[in-house]
Parts: sequence; structure tokens; C-alpha cells
Amino acid sequence: MPNANDLILVSHLSRSYQMGVEEVHALAGVSFSIARGEWVAIVGQSGSGKSTLMNVLGCLDTPTAGTYTLAGSNVQELSDDARADLRNREIGFVFQTFQLLSRATALANVELPLIYRGVPRGERRERARQALEEVGLGARTRHRPSELSGGQRQRVAIARALVGAPSLLLADEPTGNLDSATGEDIIRLFSELHKAGHTIVLVTHEPRLAARCPRAIRLSDGCVVADGPGSEVAAMAAARSVGT
Amino acid sequence: MSAGARLASEIVENVGIALDGLATHRLRTFLTTLGMAIGVMTVIAIIAIIQGLNKSFEAQVSTFGAHTLYVDKWKWMTLSDEWWQMRNRKRIGKPELDAIVNESKLATAVAPTSRAMATVSFRDRTLSDVRVEGTSEQYPLTAGNTADRGRFLVGGDVEAARSVAVLGFEVADKLFADAGGAHAAVGSTVLIGSRPFAVVGVMARRGRMLGMSMDSNVLIPWSSFGRLFGARRSITIAVAAEPGQLEALEDELTGILRRVRAVPPDKRDDFTLNRQDQLLKIYNQLTGALYGVAVGVGLITLIVGGIGIMNIMLVSVRERTREIGVRRALGARRRTILMQFMIEAAIVAVVGGALGTLAGLVVAQIVALLSPLTAAVTPSAIGLGLGFSAVVGLVFGSWPAWQAAKLDPVEALRYE
Repeated sequence: MPNANDLILVSHLSRSYQMGVEEVHALAGVSFSIARGEWVAIVGQSGSGKSTLMNVLGCLDTPTAGTYTLAGSNVQELSDDARADLRNREIGFVFQTFQLLSRATALANVELPLIYRGVPRGERRERARQALEEVGLGARTRHRPSELSGGQRQRVAIARALVGAPSLLLADEPTGNLDSATGEDIIRLFSELHKAGHTIVLVTHEPRLAARCPRAIRLSDGCVVADGPGSEVAAMAAARSVGT
Repeated sequence: MSAGARLASEIVENVGIALDGLATHRLRTFLTTLGMAIGVMTVIAIIAIIQGLNKSFEAQVSTFGAHTLYVDKWKWMTLSDEWWQMRNRKRIGKPELDAIVNESKLATAVAPTSRAMATVSFRDRTLSDVRVEGTSEQYPLTAGNTADRGRFLVGGDVEAARSVAVLGFEVADKLFADAGGAHAAVGSTVLIGSRPFAVVGVMARRGRMLGMSMDSNVLIPWSSFGRLFGARRSITIAVAAEPGQLEALEDELTGILRRVRAVPPDKRDDFTLNRQDQLLKIYNQLTGALYGVAVGVGLITLIVGGIGIMNIMLVSVRERTREIGVRRALGARRRTILMQFMIEAAIVAVVGGALGTLAGLVVAQIVALLSPLTAAVTPSAIGLGLGFSAVVGLVFGSWPAWQAAKLDPVEALRYE
């Protein structure tokens, strides 16, 4: 089953937490693979385990059982330092709350991943400037987050995610804090990035958003309940919520 | 990119990040730095004053003559249990002096000294409790000090027991305050007790040692002293040697004195050979504990400054939890986060330390101006101040930095 073109290979992945005496299974044996160049939505209601899955996929959290292979690395076997390096090289994060450093300029925010990669200052500046231009913020490099609109902030965050040329863009509810028009801009930007060849995993609770993606994986109670074209998975989810 | 180059660039980046963080909270940074500065200032001021005291004591002690042994019944700066033992010793007098003069091959000068307290007066001015010392013309060779006005005693004064006196600078200055000061003393006649003495000279000024004036004495011929105060007093014999010969002289004098005083071979010496470095040793013993306490107080202040740093760093870590989460998500290792906060603490500590060192030196100078204490500024004190503060910064910064480094990135990103 392993395919040379697979970027992500998740097999029987479980993650449980100890809550007092009770053990909570946030993920209960999840398996799927994502090929390079895919745009996949991970959709589910709150408590479905999608946040936990996003943390594991982002190498921020480790599974309690099962295996996770990202770009050829077996993540569950890596040390904390090695996972930090893997995040730095292979993953670009886009968060719902943007997670920009408020004191730093847009340019300095975008430079961050390159700092931890040890890229020299001059090259760093240049690449950060290019990344900001790609997301249409070439004129806003000196602005601080407080001087930018929500959509602009999310564009800075996307530039920061792209600047290190990672193999995976991992977006967690990227439109959750934006009005619908701005959210639409951001989704269009993702669509363009997908066309340019980026692999994108988008975590969301909105079936409407999942419907825009070529592929969606639906989670419920820590298990994969649907995996197929985005529009079908979204339609199924809508039917189920209407049915109950 | 090599690990070393990556570490170097991380340090450079972290210094920038730390400075940025400090600049954002100016008041907080200032207060923390102030706490540190006060601690270092205290330590530096105390050390500077202690070193100044030690230095001035050493300088004063050196006026005793570095190559001179003082044969005495009493050991200098003795402790009480030895006092009774020495009290019962036979006095040191003419036989010992003659034996040393005749037999010692290493002695370059020998000067006996007897001491008594007496009243000295000139016209209507009277000084009580002046140290009157009976000695010989060889005194300047053993003491490293002589008359700089008029002349010192000569051999003839001692042989003929002349009533002549050389005044210590302070005695001359006070007695002749109305008559034109110390210059006017030579050629005048003063009364020691009720006996008139012609002033032939005034000694060069020596200053103070441990707050006591070294210039409030009167020197007269040893023979005249015997007539005035009686010849039965125990004397001190100052014996000078060539540089480097002090140990050999000590052995030689011990042999001569044991024989003259008929000390049986199985008994200990019943005399003491005092020397100036012994003063230093005892001084250090007596003052060491006191200095320890003073430095301890300074260190406690420094620790309080360090706790201030720790406190503020813990607040800073709490406030920047989300930032730490973001940095971890973007690829910062635990070590990098640890370093970031350690560098921030170290910057506060070292800047505080530098300001404190400066302030400490100023305080030491002020103390030196306003009190009889002196202050010595040594490079080692400055190095110590900066070194201490860096250590305090790293020690007290390490706990908050570790708190930051061990944060779980998922939790940190969620922190409100």
C-alpha cells in the first residue's frame, strides 16, 4: 500500500488522554494516506478528534499507538529536537487565530521559520519579502499585525507558512476568525497554492468549506467515517445532520 | 549548515529577540536592572573599601621597616592567654643590647627603644599622654623615618645623655601652633615632665595607622630617658638587616638571646622577635571575619536582585506563552527557547552589574572622601562585579527559562 508519492501515511493511529481515572480516546485507530499535491479537508464536529489529528499531523503531539510517516520520517520515533527540525523543514502552519508575534513587523514574522533554519540574514529578508509579495502584501512588510486587517494578518501567516518551502501546508480553521468575503479570498488563495503544486491539509468544522476541496476526510468520535471527494463527504455530512 | 554555525546564529538572533523583549517593557526592565545594580553596587563598594583599608594598612605597616626585627618582651597584638605568660618574662635590657651589638654579624643597625607616656609642654601649651621614646642615633636606619627639619639624635647625644629632643610632626605642630608651627620648633626648649629639653629636630610626617597617629611621639637619647623615667624598664631593640637576610637574622638573634638570657635548651624562647609582616597576618586574622560578614551582606543583596530577575522572567514567560508556542511550532528547539530567556536574564543582569559596578565605585569614593577610610579601585573588583552579576543572571534566569523550554507546544498555542 505505501506509495512513493505519499507525503503522509497514517496507520492505525491512536491518541488517548488520561482525564482523572478515565481514559479518553481522541483518536481511535485512524488510517489514511495523502499524496503530494493533494488538497484535503479534515472535517468533523468539535470533539470529533480533528484538532488532535491536526496536532499529530503537525508533529506538535505524538500518537499513543500506530504510525505516522511524514516525508519519509517515522514521526513517532523522533526526538523532540528532531520533530522541531521536521516542523521547521516540512510543515507550514496556518492557524485560526493567525498566531503572529504582535511586536514584530510582517517581514520579521515571516522570517521566523528561516531563523530557526539558520538562513543568513540577507537571504532571509529577501525570501520573506518574496513570500509576502506572493500573498499580495508586498507593500505591507513594515506593518505590525495591529496595523493590518484580519485578512491581511492571515495572508502574513500564510506567507510565513510558505517561506520555508515546506512539503505540507497545515491550516487549522483558517477562515474561522474572518468575515465571509475575506474568508473567500483566503480560500481562493489556497486554491491557487494547490494549483501551484502545494500539498494542503485544511482542518475545519464547516462542511461548506470541505465541499470546496477535491478530497475530504470526515472524523467522528476519533474514527474516519468518510473519505472521498469533498463535495460528496460534505453532502453526506449535511444529510446526516438533517436526518438526526 | 554546521551545528556550531547554527548555534552562533541562534545566539545572535536570541540577543536581538531578548533586546526587543526588554525594550517593550521598559519600566519593568529598568526596575529589574535597578535591583541588580543595587546588589552589585553594595558588593563593589564593600570590596573597594576593604581593599582600600588593607592597602593603607600595608602602606602604614611598611613604615616600620621591612628589613627590621623588633626584639621585645611582648608579642605584638597578642591574645589574652599569651599575655599572662609574657607578663612574667624577664625584662629586656642593656645585656641583650650589648650582646646583639657585639656579636651579630648580620645586623646593619641596632636601636634600643624605651617608651613612656609623659606630658610635654611649650610655654602655655601642654600635651598630655605623649609617647616619649628613648632611642639611639641608629633609630632612623631601623624605622625608615628621620628628621626632615633640624637634625636627628647623634652618637654624642646618647653618650653624654644630653637633654635634646626630636619631636614627632604632630607634637611639634600642636605645641608650636601659636609660634609659627612645626618650623619654629627647632631651637626652642620644651618641657618633658618638668625637665627642659632642647628641640634639635622634627620628624618627617608618617600619617595614621588604624586611626592612630604615628606622629605624636618625642624621641630623646636612650641615656637621658633612663634618667627621666628610670633604667629598669624593658626595652625594645630594633635590629635591621640587609634585604633578604631577615630569616638568617632571626636565627642569629635567637641564638644570641637564648644564650645571654640563659634559656635552657628544653624551654621555649622567653622573648619575641616581632616583624612587620606579622602585623599584617594578625590584622588579616582579626579583620577577616568582619570582612566576611560585610561581603556576605553584599551577596545577600545580590541574591535579592537575582530573585527580582527570576520573578520578572517568570512573569515574562507566562505572558509570552503563546509566543513560545508559535516559535516551537515554527521549528525552535527547546534549547533555543531556553537560550532566548537565559540571554534575556543575562542581559538584564550584566547591564545591572555594569551600572552597579560604576555606582559602587562612586559610592566607595564618596565614603573615602567623607570618612577616614580609603577606597581602592582594582580591576579585579570590577571583574568580580561583572562576573557575579553574570552568574546571578544565569542562575536565577535558568529556572524561568527552563519553565519556558519545557512548555508543551500544543498547550502553549492554546494559552489565553
